[in-house]
This record gives sequence, C-alpha cells and structure tokens, in this order.
Amino acid sequence: MAARSSNIWVVWLTLAVALLLSVSSMPKFMELGRPLWLALFLTYWVLAVPHRVGMTTAWVIGLLADVLNGTLLGQNALILTLITFLVLTLHQRLRMFPMWQQSTVLLVVFGLAQLVQLWLNALTGSRPPTLTFVLPALVSALLWPWVCTLLRGLHQRLGVN
Amino acid sequence: MRLLVFTVLSAALMVVDARFTLLHPLRAQLGLIVEPVYWVGRLPVRVWESATQELSTRNELAAENEKLKAEQLMMQRRLQKLAALTEQNVRLRELLNSAALVDDDVLATELIGIDPNPFTHRILIDKGEKDGVVLGQPVLDARGLMGQVVEVMPYTSRVLLLTDTTHSIPVQVNRNGLRAIASGTGNPERLELRHVADTADIKEGDLLVSSGLGQRFPAGYPVAMVSEVIHDSGQPFAIVRAVPTATLNRSRYMLLVFTDPRTPEQRATESAQAQEALDREILQQAQPEQPAAPAPAAPANPPEAAQ
Repeated sequence: MAARSSNIWVVWLTLAVALLLSVSSMPKFMELGRPLWLALFLTYWVLAVPHRVGMTTAWVIGLLADVLNGTLLGQNALILTLITFLVLTLHQRLRMFPMWQQSTVLLVVFGLAQLVQLWLNALTGSRPPTLTFVLPALVSALLWPWVCTLLRGLHQRLGVN
Repeated sequence: MRLLVFTVLSAALMVVDARFTLLHPLRAQLGLIVEPVYWVGRLPVRVWESATQELSTRNELAAENEKLKAEQLMMQRRLQKLAALTEQNVRLRELLNSAALVDDDVLATELIGIDPNPFTHRILIDKGEKDGVVLGQPVLDARGLMGQVVEVMPYTSRVLLLTDTTHSIPVQVNRNGLRAIASGTGNPERLELRHVADTADIKEGDLLVSSGLGQRFPAGYPVAMVSEVIHDSGQPFAIVRAVPTATLNRSRYMLLVFTDPRTPEQRATESAQAQEALDREILQQAQPEQPAAPAPAAPANPPEAAQ
C-alpha cells in the first residue's frame, strides 16, 4: 500500500522547483514583484493533502530558503509556517470557495506574511522605503488560479494522497 | 500548538544566528547546495546569452574586436606611463622612509547569482573557502571597488555591495585628501557622503578613493565620482551625492583582493629592518678594511644596535 498510494515525492519535487524559481534571475522591473513561489506551491499542497503537508514541511523548506537567500536562519521558516498555519485554519472554508474568492483570501494571507517579513527585515537593519513590499503578495494572488490548476493536474494525474 | 513551537524555534534560531557565531559552520556546510541551485536558476539567462552569441553577426564581432583593440592600445599607453610613475613613487617613498607600496594579489571571480530580495544589494560569486576567500575581503571590478565578502561558503561566497543601505566605506577626495564616509542608499547608482561640513572643499566631479582607514579596504582604489553637492542652509551638513565608479549592477567578472594581513606598523618596522640590514651590508662591502667606522654610534645605544 505504501508503495502505491502516496506519491509524496511529487510534493517535494514541486517544492524544489519552487525553491529554484524563487532564486532564478528575472528582469529588473519584475524583481520588485517577484511572486512568492514557495508560499504558492505550499498553499496548494496544504489545501490538497493537509494530512501530509503541514507546518513541519513548511518549516524545513523555509530553512532551505534561508540558506539559499542568505537571510537569517529561521526568517523564511517562520513566515512559511505562519502562512501554513493560516491556510490550515481556513482550509475547510477555502476549499469550498470559487477561485477568485480563494485569491482574495490568499492576498490577505500573503500580505500579512509580507508584513512580518518587513518587520523582521527592519529588525536586522535593512528597510524597504515604500509600500512596494505588498506587490509580491498581489502578484502571487493573481497567479494563484494558474498555479492551482497546474498543480491540480499533476496531483490528479500522479495520484498524490 | 505546533505553530507556537515552530515560532519559538525560528525566533531562537534567528537570534542565535544574528548574535553568535555558533551556527556559522553549519551555515557554511549547508551553503554547499547554493551553487547548484543558483546554477540551474540562471540557466535560462545562460541559454539566452549563448544563443545571442551564436547569432551575433560577423560585422558585430569585427566591430567589437576593433573597439577592444583601441582600448588595449590606450591601456598600454597608460601602462607605459605607469611604469615610470611607479618607479618614481617607490623612490620617493624610500626617501620618506615609509613602507613600500606593494602590488596586491588578486583572484578573478565570476558572478553566479543575485540576491532575490530587491532591497538588499548582495551578489553571489563562484569562489569560496576552498579558494582562500576570507570574511571581509574587498571585491573590485575593472573600474573600482564593488564591496566586501560577508558570507563564506565552501565553493561560493556572498558579497555586500557598496550601495546596500547597511554598508559604509571610508573614502578620501583624490584631489585634496579630504576624508569622508560614503554610505549606501539602496540605489545602485548613488552613494551619500555623511557629515561633510558645509565649508568643505568638495565639488562636482571629484574622484573619491578608498582611504584604507577602516582597515578593511586597501587604500587608493577608486570608489565613486561626486555627482552633486547641495548647500542647504537648513541642514547642518552639506548633502553630497556620488556615483560609484564600479558598474555594480552590470559587472560579470570581478577581482578578489588579497591584502597584506600585517598592520601598517608591523609592515613599517619590517621594511625598516630590511633597509637597515641592506645598509649594513653595503657599508661592509664598501669599507671592508675599516669595520670600526660605525662603531662610535654603537656604544651610545647598544640595545638598538644589536637589533
């Protein structure tokens, strides 16, 4: 049964892709609105298989992201854990919502996460000057329907549960 | 419940990472995964660059070749002058009895990644601990200082650029030696000089070079060009803005500078000792039959003569 049923490696593979996307180079003007790939992918898997992907996964992936980005160890881990917690709390309702409503809720969740990110950055000395820190949250919320559709295709075809 | 545990754990990790050096070895080892990930992350850029290179026409290549040849000629002309100037500089320094200016050792390195956070100016380079890179090492490009190494991993390291908001560098106006501190502004094309008096002799177009006073950057490398000086009577200090001479957001190849680890005092005493030994040798060669000539000075100050 264990060999057939849980294709959990798919989850890790997609999260690895998200890590890659989060550090890949982008044109200068898009850098300000770089989507929160990790948060997006993680949110999908938390919504789809909450019994497999939880805060532990989020925390471990967050630590890896910290190493890659050279931020303080624990910064991204904390933020991803927070996002996962919020999504887990809301997931019964979120799954019932139509896509645009999910996007709206996620905009608020990601916005909160970016706010925490801003505070942590301010504590370590670097402060972004303007309101642009909410831009990634907005871009991510707009990307959600596409990410969701894509991952759902993978999810159903490979039978992750 | 689990949220609480992980939050506390993350907070503890952050504090330990920021305040103590306990986690640094662990970080360095985890850094091993950084290079392959950034390599794959930059793959699209690499493919695009090689594709454009393949498709560039013969004419373009010829034009570029022409340009490089002209540039080389100009550089060589300057180099000829430089040889004479270096010679003169060494002679003058000997006259002044100060430590000789030694050429710094450098190591070429390539950019492999840029920090995804647009509010920090940090880059990743392809040399690390295994190549002898150390924390705080200065990094240059062809036109001037770029920044310093802030994190060393086995095969890669992270460089904080001059224009990051958390970075400052002691500089000097090349024209008159006026000292100042240039701080980053978060804008890749701008540095600001802190606490420059309104009456200070500084004007547009002045070249700022590193002064070496912070004991971190070697002295005499170009840092920035003053672009505007604003005298505002409402402000306690003049507002001085400068443009970095290094192309911070375009350079692909950089140089890591290995400076002399000795302090200036050690360097001075060592070169003075070497000079004394040389003098004594010359003296002995010149007057082999009169070894008593320097003797009168010896009794006056025996311990120093023994050294």
